[in-house]
Amino acid sequence: MRVPFSFLTEQFADPEPIFSAIREFLKRCDFTLGEDVTEFEKKYASYTGAKHAIGVGTGTDALSLSLQCLGVGPGDEVITAPNTFIATVGAIVQAGARPIFVDSGADENIDVSKIEAAITSKTKALMPVHWAGCPADMEAICAIAKRHGLLVVEDSCQALGARVKGKHVGTFGDAGGFSCHPLKPLHVWGDGGMIVTNSDKLAEKLRLFRNHGMQNRDVVAFYGVNSRFDNLHAIVGNYVFETLDQTIDTRISHAQTFDASFSQSKFAKFIELPKRNTENKHVFHLYKFHAQNREGLLKHLIDNGIEAKIHYPLPMHLQPAAKQWNYKEGQFPVTEAESKMTITLPCHQYLSKDQIQYTIEQVTKFYLR
Amino acid sequence: MQHELHENTHTPLPPVRIPFVQLATATKEKAADAALKQMKEIYLKSEFILGQAVEEFEKRYAPLTGCQYAVAVNSGTDALYLSLRALGIGPGDEVITASNSFIATAAAISLVGATPVFVDCGWDYNINPHLIESAITRRTKAIMPVHLTGLPCRMNEILAIVDRHDLSLIEDSAQAVGSTFNGQKVGSFGDTGCFSLHPLKNLHVWGDGGVISTHCEDLARELKQQRNHGLKNRDEVEYFSYNSRLDTLQAVVGIEAIPLLEDTITLRRKNAAQYDARLKKLAPHLSIPQTFEGAFHSYHLYVIAANDRDALQVFLRQNGVETKIHYPIPIHLQKAAEGLGYLPGSLPVTEALSKRILSLPIRESLKETEIDEICDLIGHFYASASPSH
Repeated sequence: MRVPFSFLTEQFADPEPIFSAIREFLKRCDFTLGEDVTEFEKKYASYTGAKHAIGVGTGTDALSLSLQCLGVGPGDEVITAPNTFIATVGAIVQAGARPIFVDSGADENIDVSKIEAAITSKTKALMPVHWAGCPADMEAICAIAKRHGLLVVEDSCQALGARVKGKHVGTFGDAGGFSCHPLKPLHVWGDGGMIVTNSDKLAEKLRLFRNHGMQNRDVVAFYGVNSRFDNLHAIVGNYVFETLDQTIDTRISHAQTFDASFSQSKFAKFIELPKRNTENKHVFHLYKFHAQNREGLLKHLIDNGIEAKIHYPLPMHLQPAAKQWNYKEGQFPVTEAESKMTITLPCHQYLSKDQIQYTIEQVTKFYLR
Repeated sequence: MQHELHENTHTPLPPVRIPFVQLATATKEKAADAALKQMKEIYLKSEFILGQAVEEFEKRYAPLTGCQYAVAVNSGTDALYLSLRALGIGPGDEVITASNSFIATAAAISLVGATPVFVDCGWDYNINPHLIESAITRRTKAIMPVHLTGLPCRMNEILAIVDRHDLSLIEDSAQAVGSTFNGQKVGSFGDTGCFSLHPLKNLHVWGDGGVISTHCEDLARELKQQRNHGLKNRDEVEYFSYNSRLDTLQAVVGIEAIPLLEDTITLRRKNAAQYDARLKKLAPHLSIPQTFEGAFHSYHLYVIAANDRDALQVFLRQNGVETKIHYPIPIHLQKAAEGLGYLPGSLPVTEALSKRILSLPIRESLKETEIDEICDLIGHFYASASPSH
């Protein structure tokens, strides 16, 4: 049996409605910030419960533009987690600020008990990552931010649909950045990102900033960038929205099946699940656990047709790119242990119960043969 | 724009009969069909990020720039921005450019942390090479000439200055794919050439896109890494960067658009010649766009400099002809440039032209009869105008 990691080749039984919508769009020719983008932004705002949603070029830009429009720049520090995709850190650097890492905790999200020790007079913002689709402890993070007068930008790139006590991630802080990259549950056929915010002022600034700072065709309020959500992609995104909740529910159901098996005592010596918080909605963009003899398990699964992955083997503070900041191995023990033990199993919405069972069988076979 | 005109005139405007832009045309439909077919292939393979189509597009685009390497990025703005960054230009540096350009030119300089230094243009709308050297300081790192409207800058003079002062040269070729100076393609003179694939450009995709051209293999490799998070491979990051990839779907559209470029330019040049022949008789009311021996103009825009420009624009619009102004407020007088210390009068030619320039429709789908009609209307406007004209 084959258990692929990516769902893309199965995504639509019939892509024809999308292609005919693209044909209609070619007659209208509203290629840039056209009506489909407006519709997509409206859907996004209403889905997350945010007042505004602003479509941008990429998830990376969603984070970077948010920081820049909130006034984070050279000389400032932004606190984030070292176990994340490179774009989190890239966005901070892109804004001209310096990333300050804080170790992760048992749920693989930033350890809120360690944040305050990292705050300096230069700290301007906190950027928690809802890693793998699991909400970070937003109540604690917002309380810290309030106490120290800091901004909060949530890296929600992996976490559309995730909620803390019913409230959508991305709406706790000043801004939330989302990604529509093809591997995301709500994805488009290329790069795309979305920013949500409840601030009218920030939304207005972001709408100008993503489009060259242009107030209208002829007047430029400030120097901006070109980071617009392609209308072509919004057509696809609007279709994918229709099945989003179903997609998320299926992923959660697969994850629960995995959790029920892997939390059995027979696996106790081999598998450690990240701490689950039942008050929160984890959307399982990635289904991860800590595996003993990770390399052996990875090879066994791949040899048996299961496309497992590692997210990620090298934490941000130990990347060649981070050399300038002199972080040392051993500085973030929880994250470093995660990077050596973590494994990601395919968990997407098009996998059948059989494929999930087969995956469990193969993990069982590896550890308990 | 139409709204503003409406307010100025207090009379209802008739529908536009001769639009400035017409993106959907029969020739393009054929290319669109081909592109949609390719898109389905991409969809079936799920290769939505970079991949073969982007490489193929780069391979086919490079010859249009006269360079061996082309790197496809997310926008023309990013092409400028990434070029500056890859060439090591940043805070404390100055970059010399023109003020009569689209905002992205100066914005890219400002975004890397450098300061744009504006030099006045000549009557051909391009940066005046004779004024460049007096703007050079010890902080000057690069010159960024803009081949505005598709007319190449006088690259021999600019190259001599670049050599003399050991500066980087980044060509803003966003409006000028296919233009040549003394037979050499724009984008091949500098360290990099920066092109836009925006829907209004002569060669465009169905959204945002840009291309950087270069002769230098190392620089091309560097730019490819910069556009993709600085990733060396899936797991290792050499330096922090960001995400500026040309969408694979847009690359497919670009591949189908490339073969249309030559005809597009030929038709636009033919339209320009027809305008030229008619409109030059209307001097001194207006002047036709200047060009020069050795310049091959691709006419992304056809810009005249006209007396009583605003009234002429209203008159044309009242007669169903849509025109534009590229651009009514020069960059140095924009709010965005306030901190740079420019005042009205700083760049007299740029400022004088900003009040006179008018872009007439030049698109390849324009009919001969439509051009005749536009020229008739302009002639009529000046003939019936008061003696002050």
